[in-house]
Amino acid sequence: MTSRLVAVCLAFAAGFEGVSTATAAPQTFNTALPVAEGEFVFREQFVYRKATDDPIPADRELQVLGGVSVLGYGVTGDVAVFGVLPYLDKELDVTMPGGRVTRNTSGIADARLFGRYTIYKNNTPGRTFRIAPFLGIEIPTGDDDDRDGLGRLPAPLQLGSGSWDGFGGIVLTYQTLDFQVDVQTSYKLNTAANKFEFGDEARLDASLQYRVWPQELGAGTPGFLYAVLEGNLLYSDNHEVDGVNDPNSGGTSFFLSPGLQYVTKRWIIEGILQLPVSQDLNGTALEDDLTIRAGFRFNF
Amino acid sequence: MTSITRSASVFRALGASLLIAFLLPVSATGAESSAVYTLQVDGLACPFCAYGIEKQLNRIDGVEFVETDVKSGTVVVTMKPGATLDKADTNRAVEAAGFSMRELRKKADDA
Repeated sequence: MTSRLVAVCLAFAAGFEGVSTATAAPQTFNTALPVAEGEFVFREQFVYRKATDDPIPADRELQVLGGVSVLGYGVTGDVAVFGVLPYLDKELDVTMPGGRVTRNTSGIADARLFGRYTIYKNNTPGRTFRIAPFLGIEIPTGDDDDRDGLGRLPAPLQLGSGSWDGFGGIVLTYQTLDFQVDVQTSYKLNTAANKFEFGDEARLDASLQYRVWPQELGAGTPGFLYAVLEGNLLYSDNHEVDGVNDPNSGGTSFFLSPGLQYVTKRWIIEGILQLPVSQDLNGTALEDDLTIRAGFRFNF
Repeated sequence: MTSITRSASVFRALGASLLIAFLLPVSATGAESSAVYTLQVDGLACPFCAYGIEKQLNRIDGVEFVETDVKSGTVVVTMKPGATLDKADTNRAVEAAGFSMRELRKKADDA
């Protein structure tokens, strides 16, 4: 019963881990901007996520705290590969007949490897337009058999899925000296492990970054301060437990996220607040309150 | 009065000697002057991207210094004395950074 309850409350939660690359880019998803040949970019993003909007009396509270490290490498000016390694601390509080119960776990979660190829680019003075599909795989590096005093943690609370899951998509970027727009659509095909299969996930993301400082560009390479607004439309299919659809999982959500980003030649600092605007989740799935992302990136 | 005039002459002579001493090396360097090139790069629209271009150009033999102006999309490449910048190498470097080179001019050609 406990496992079932936890699985229900985390039904939607598991899929909401944005993967953003390490160039000047959106903070909740990818970009088509290049990584120079033979060069590395590194990004560290700290994430805090809270979901407490519980439609059932169990008063479930989920908190996820973590850091997501991304290393990007430019194979050529058009081809880049990325590795993503999250470290997460997940905690769930839930009221059971015997009282309040806390279940938690922490450690390395599932890593992601993906490649991105720029199939189209149009470079003109002070602006660029690019289209880049990407394809990758999520590797089961996270523990998928963690246990506590109540037994094995339910699959959505585990750090890893235990399965190899492919994902792919396409991202478009239009960047000028004054603003940048990124739009991405992607799909993640989840597979089964331990008799549990996360529902497939589809996303549509958009980001606008507008330079608010300096208002007039000077000589050289001055730092840019961008005001950022991002939107994420997420759809998650029902999970399957033992081959049976879980009616209390999956659904559609829309997040709107204001943020700031300061970009220099060598490094970027940034932060964004993801707020749910609409959450049409199946059954009794737990709804998100907010996600805060903050971090830095640098070229080397 | 005579001693003041004499002192002034000594200082003038000393000053002239120092001037010559400073000018000589400059003149000698001038014989091996550093070529400066200006690249017009398309697609460059943020500071973070400038780093990639500068690193690629710095890998070219003979490049001493690279400086980017994001607003104008220009990259100024200063060569080591006696070195020249090959257009094909430059184009390759800019492409490797993910951008496009519109034009390459030697600074002297600007005059």
